[in-house]
Amino acid sequence: MPDKLADMRTIKFLLHEVLKLEELTQYPYYEDHSRETLDMAADTAYQLAHEVFWPSYQEFDQEGAQFDGHKVAVPKAMHEIWKQCAEGGWIGPNVSYDDGGQQFPITIHALACFLFNCGNTAAAMYLGLTYGAAHLIKTFGSKELQDLYMAKLFAGQYAGTMVLTEPDTGTSVGDMTTTASKSPDGDYYLLRGNKRFISGGDHDLTENIIHAVLARTEGAPPGIKGLSLFIVPKYRVNGDGSIGEWNDVTTTGIEHKMGLKGSATASLTFGDKGDCRAWLVGELNHGLRYMFELMNMARVFTGMQAVGVASAAYHCALEYSRTRLQGRDITSRDPLEPQIPIIQHPDVRLMLLKQRAVVEGCLGLFLYCARVHDQEHAVTDPEEQQRLHMLLEMLTPCCKAYGSDAAFESIRLAIQCHGGSGYSEEYPVAQMLRDCKVFSIYEGANGIQALDLLGRKVPMKGGMALQALNAEVSKTIAEAKELAPLKDLADKIESLQNEVVQATMHLGMLGLSGKVNQYLCNATAYLEMFSHLAISWQLLMQAVVAQKVLDAGSTEENFYRGKIETARCYAGYNVPHGIATAQMLTADERTALDFKPEWF
Amino acid sequence: MKVVVLIKRVPDTASELQVAADGKSVVTGGLKFVMSPYDEHAVELAIQLKESHGAEVVVLSAGPPETKEIIRSALAMGADSGILVDTAQLGALTCRGTARLLAAALADLGADLVVAGKQAVDDDAAQVPERVAELLGIPHASVITRFELSGTTASVDREIEGGQYTLELPLPALFTTQKGINTPRYPTLPNIMKAKKKEIREVPAAQLGLAADSLSAQATTEAMTLPRQQRLCRVIEGDNAQRVKELVRVLHMEEKVL
Ligand SMILES: Cc1cc2nc3c(=O)[nH]c(=O)nc-3n(C[C@H](O)[C@H](O)[C@H](O)COP(=O)(O)OP(=O)(O)OC[C@H]3O[C@@H](n4cnc5c(N)ncnc54)[C@H](O)[C@@H]3O)c2cc1C
Repeated sequence: MPDKLADMRTIKFLLHEVLKLEELTQYPYYEDHSRETLDMAADTAYQLAHEVFWPSYQEFDQEGAQFDGHKVAVPKAMHEIWKQCAEGGWIGPNVSYDDGGQQFPITIHALACFLFNCGNTAAAMYLGLTYGAAHLIKTFGSKELQDLYMAKLFAGQYAGTMVLTEPDTGTSVGDMTTTASKSPDGDYYLLRGNKRFISGGDHDLTENIIHAVLARTEGAPPGIKGLSLFIVPKYRVNGDGSIGEWNDVTTTGIEHKMGLKGSATASLTFGDKGDCRAWLVGELNHGLRYMFELMNMARVFTGMQAVGVASAAYHCALEYSRTRLQGRDITSRDPLEPQIPIIQHPDVRLMLLKQRAVVEGCLGLFLYCARVHDQEHAVTDPEEQQRLHMLLEMLTPCCKAYGSDAAFESIRLAIQCHGGSGYSEEYPVAQMLRDCKVFSIYEGANGIQALDLLGRKVPMKGGMALQALNAEVSKTIAEAKELAPLKDLADKIESLQNEVVQATMHLGMLGLSGKVNQYLCNATAYLEMFSHLAISWQLLMQAVVAQKVLDAGSTEENFYRGKIETARCYAGYNVPHGIATAQMLTADERTALDFKPEWF
Repeated sequence: MKVVVLIKRVPDTASELQVAADGKSVVTGGLKFVMSPYDEHAVELAIQLKESHGAEVVVLSAGPPETKEIIRSALAMGADSGILVDTAQLGALTCRGTARLLAAALADLGADLVVAGKQAVDDDAAQVPERVAELLGIPHASVITRFELSGTTASVDREIEGGQYTLELPLPALFTTQKGINTPRYPTLPNIMKAKKKEIREVPAAQLGLAADSLSAQATTEAMTLPRQQRLCRVIEGDNAQRVKELVRVLHMEEKVL
């Protein structure tokens, strides 16, 4: 069992030295905060992750969520986790005082999400969904809906869900068939339909569950433009806040999954008895837009979930590699010489380093995005807001898709470091690999993220979003070039940046000439290349800070040297890969398009 | 009722310690510091008394200015105010000096009850609170696993070798807490925000009117080394009877643990 799930020194480095989070306190919303409150929140989140989430990690996998044919029970340890998080204010730390929060930056909320996922990813699901539902009501719901549900959701008295997927409708949300018809005798709609894969769809954690459901009203236009958002409680809530009648939401089963077993993934039937009441959020037919407005951060959080698990796996691998004695130095000739810890074998060290680079690079990117989001909400200049928003739009698909795929690969390496023991369920890394897989699937499958990046984000506002991001990357590269020891690294990353620009222009021409299919057929490869640049850039940003500290003289030489060499390693292995991809893209590789399904 | 909790800032035992170049001290750069874990139980005990008896809870610590961070943590758990005896201007302190500083700071606080962790996890000396009680001339009981208050009498259980020892002490008195007495709470986010507004009074050590030689260290550190970590695994072969015999022999003769 690892002693450590994440490196808090690195986290403090990112929060304060790289992202200068404290500077937010100059804006009114954050003015009560200080380095001290930010640090205390971060440290407490780690404590909770380590002492409350983590001890039951394997238990969650063995016990799983249970369905007895009628109702769902969460793993026993989940109740205490929920209680601690609800009482501690961890469902919505960033929410305003008026809504029961403490106005922390969303960066702190994101960090807490990361840490809780380091500890127990299935457990953390229940929190995130509750926040999501509450946040929807807060942003788009009527005063009545807010009064009935919001405070109770943020306080953890109720739990929430996000309900989109149906048995026959996943990615293609616009094809969903769940319908809502206006009730003749009330302010509500009657819902009818089946939903599947609903995380936290049913459980015994809270006295009520509040579903945020997408459905189509009668006569609404087809496709995504005809979807509306509804609030559907499991039990109706009376005007005085007391729990009323059952609302005709039936649980028909839960999934038996590869991982994430402690999180109940339910199939739900709404309106089997014809009396499932649903309350409209905002305007008719705007449902998907509402969900999408919250999507950026939700997707950044999905990347966080994945990399949280990868962080825990990395620390398992690091500890194991330091203590597992096996073999001798490759030059040793003496069979009686004592064996060495495997961390001394360069191949093992490289595996560890690659994991570390993914964890620290992705975490850096996520926290950067959250920081950009905070900044966007803090500043008042509309132009600056737009610029920040575009940065976030560009980086979101990378956070979600690259974050989840790189995390999975990273955990694969963590298992590899453990040898046969890693394949055994005795060690937690096997479970981590299983748990982590889902993050490339839900919240928009990774292939869809790639289409989003290349199809929507790159051409966004005539390429302005891409330019805004490029300018940030160039700024960091220029800063690094000023520091002699980082010059070669900066040059290397710049060469990838140039290739990405070239490849993007080449693809852009395809797009402009109407060859949309060809433009998009390598979107996934494009996203990976783009992410290699984004992560190299983030690690370079960290290296610049580290180099400056070292130049000024530091007692923590190992720590800062480690940061610089991690950046060097990531770029060393991934820049050439990115460049090769760029060349493939400019060479119009199009097998994916031309290979006919019948040739399989 | 006023409860004063003595707490100490110590390196997190989970952090990797390095001995400094002088061979006599620990590298502190990059080291994470926390409230000594046994002290958390003392803070929890005090906060429970606040909840049950309306006690006022003051945390007191002697240390460098950074000690305010752990005082703030105690405030975030629910304590009312803090006092830092700032020792930045003093040389190395040993238990004797620290106890004298704390006793001097306590002198006019009017504490009905003083609680502390049974030992700090850095030096593991387990001396300061008892010395404080002696200096103040109040009764004390260490390593308690139960605490109950009725009127001005405290009934406690002490953990002793192979058993348990129940005592009653009149207040004011001092107690040190052992794990198991309670589960320290985590600071909640609302309490973290409230803690920011609570007062931490800083008292420079010099203001306590103690003569420098009464604080000076009575021992000097000659050298410091990290414990050597060794993991030896040995498989004993043979049938059960042989293996048991061999195991007993190894434990008795070689490892000398039996
Ligand atoms: C553990 C778990 C929890 C979940 N929680 C929730 C939840 O809380 N709420 C909820 O609503 N849903 C939830 N889901 C559902 C999840 O969002 C969907 O599984 C996901 O959106 C993919 O839909 P699908 O499974 O129908 O796959 P499909 O849509 O059938 O996709 C299969 C593959 O085809 C690709 N594909 C599909 N369409 C296209 C296209 N147009 N272009 C290119 N490629 C395409 C996809 O990228 C994917 O690789 C959860 C799923 C899991 C496994």
